[in-house]
Amino acid sequence: MRRTIVFGWLIAGFFLQATAYFFLGAKLGIPQSPANSNPRVPYAGLVFICGVMMVFISAVIYELLPDREDKGQTGDVRDGREYGR
Amino acid sequence: MAQRVGTYTYGSEPTERLPYGIGRVTGPWLFAAALAAGAFGFGVYAYYRQYTEGEVITGMRDIGTMGGTPWGLYVVFIAYFVGVSFAGIILAALIRLMNLHQLKPVARIAEVLTVIALVCAACCVLADLGNPIRGLLNLPRYARPGSPLFGTFTLVISGYMFASLVYLYLDSRRDAMICARVPGRLQTFHRIWAAGYRDTPAQRRRHYTASFWLAIAIVPLLVTAHSTLGFVFGLQIGRPGWHSALQAPSFVIMAGVSGTGLLIVAAAIMRRALGEQERLTGEVFRWLNNLLLVLILAYLYLWIVETLSSVYQGGEQEVEVTRALFTGEYATLFWLVLALLLSALALLIAQFFRPGLALVAGVTAGVLVNVAAIFKRFLLVIPSQTHGPLLPYSPGHYSPTWVEYGVVIGLFGFGTLLFIGFAKTFPIIHLPEAEKERAA
Repeated sequence: MRRTIVFGWLIAGFFLQATAYFFLGAKLGIPQSPANSNPRVPYAGLVFICGVMMVFISAVIYELLPDREDKGQTGDVRDGREYGR
Repeated sequence: MAQRVGTYTYGSEPTERLPYGIGRVTGPWLFAAALAAGAFGFGVYAYYRQYTEGEVITGMRDIGTMGGTPWGLYVVFIAYFVGVSFAGIILAALIRLMNLHQLKPVARIAEVLTVIALVCAACCVLADLGNPIRGLLNLPRYARPGSPLFGTFTLVISGYMFASLVYLYLDSRRDAMICARVPGRLQTFHRIWAAGYRDTPAQRRRHYTASFWLAIAIVPLLVTAHSTLGFVFGLQIGRPGWHSALQAPSFVIMAGVSGTGLLIVAAAIMRRALGEQERLTGEVFRWLNNLLLVLILAYLYLWIVETLSSVYQGGEQEVEVTRALFTGEYATLFWLVLALLLSALALLIAQFFRPGLALVAGVTAGVLVNVAAIFKRFLLVIPSQTHGPLLPYSPGHYSPTWVEYGVVIGLFGFGTLLFIGFAKTFPIIHLPEAEKERAA
């Protein structure tokens, strides 16, 4: 489940980047008119950055989401109390 | 495994206190903090004056008609701070990818330097804008992802800073967990940072995988980001002195030079302040010195090639800019940069004959290359604007005012405050236990 969420998140991040770069931002090619300078959709740059951030957030999700493997494993116990929670 | 971590070992004796003087305010720390806060306060005042009176109180003016430069000291320091950030995170990523255990003690210092340098770079961008609010609103709205300016000011400072923060956060959870065991005011903070990390084999395996892929993703992002900063200058065909295919690689290499130099200086200060001679050993500094040596050589090679190309085949304006650098208004600074880099190189070579000098040679070379990096950025940004116009304007001039110097000093103060503040709340060096296990 954790891996599915992580890969979903990762793909969504890359998808946002590609969409913003190729379809939402200004047209690619030799600039001949203002259409080559202005973004087709406002905030295309912000969408691109969000995509970059989502890709890196997937690493946090991968590490922070609990997994089946975690069950029954003890890590940091002292004086009968578990730390780091 | 579970009982082993009842107390962590710091040096040779188990302790219940937080390591590296975390949470304990000392006289020297207070003095350093007061000094940094004073510099920061001066910077805030300078920026307040600029914000209320306008950029007319800076030394920046239009090119040509006003005989000045619209890009001044702030752009110089954007390039410098972004450069410093490069070496930090790339070193941390390479330590992970290539298992350079010798350098592990400096990995966190490098990561923290990266984040702080990027924050300072972002502040430089804001200081450079006459109306920062309008810039903050318009940049995301109208920016074009394919533009080098977007790449530099947006992708670098947001995407790459975010990536560095994620790397720093995940890499520090284990130490946060260890610190969270010690009762005190910071316990809750450390517990939140640890976010459930319990050092189970599964969690360690997961972190190993995540940090590997994160490092793989960060390296190309870094090279792209720093190359785009070079492209901001290198792609401007109408600006002699900037238009060069070597701008991007030169930026990446110079970034490595200044960043590695600053890392050596910061590591030496931490070694002294924390008494960590056993962990930040001469071997660590020899590694960093050798890296710095190779980077300086590579940079000098690129510099010579670029200069020869501009002199040999350059147009009239290109030669005019080169003349201003060699014998004109900027000659002193130009030759000083060369002398500083060669002096650093000589010091780093000298350590091969006297290995005991590694620390002193490294720190001195680190300071020299950082001064050289700042001057070199100045020589890149300014002369092409004052002496490079293609239109028949007479040569311009730029000298920063106290306001610009004040803002830059304030940023150094702000960066120092962040660094020493972090060092008082979190282990600035990987805790030994964690390091041993990762090596296993």
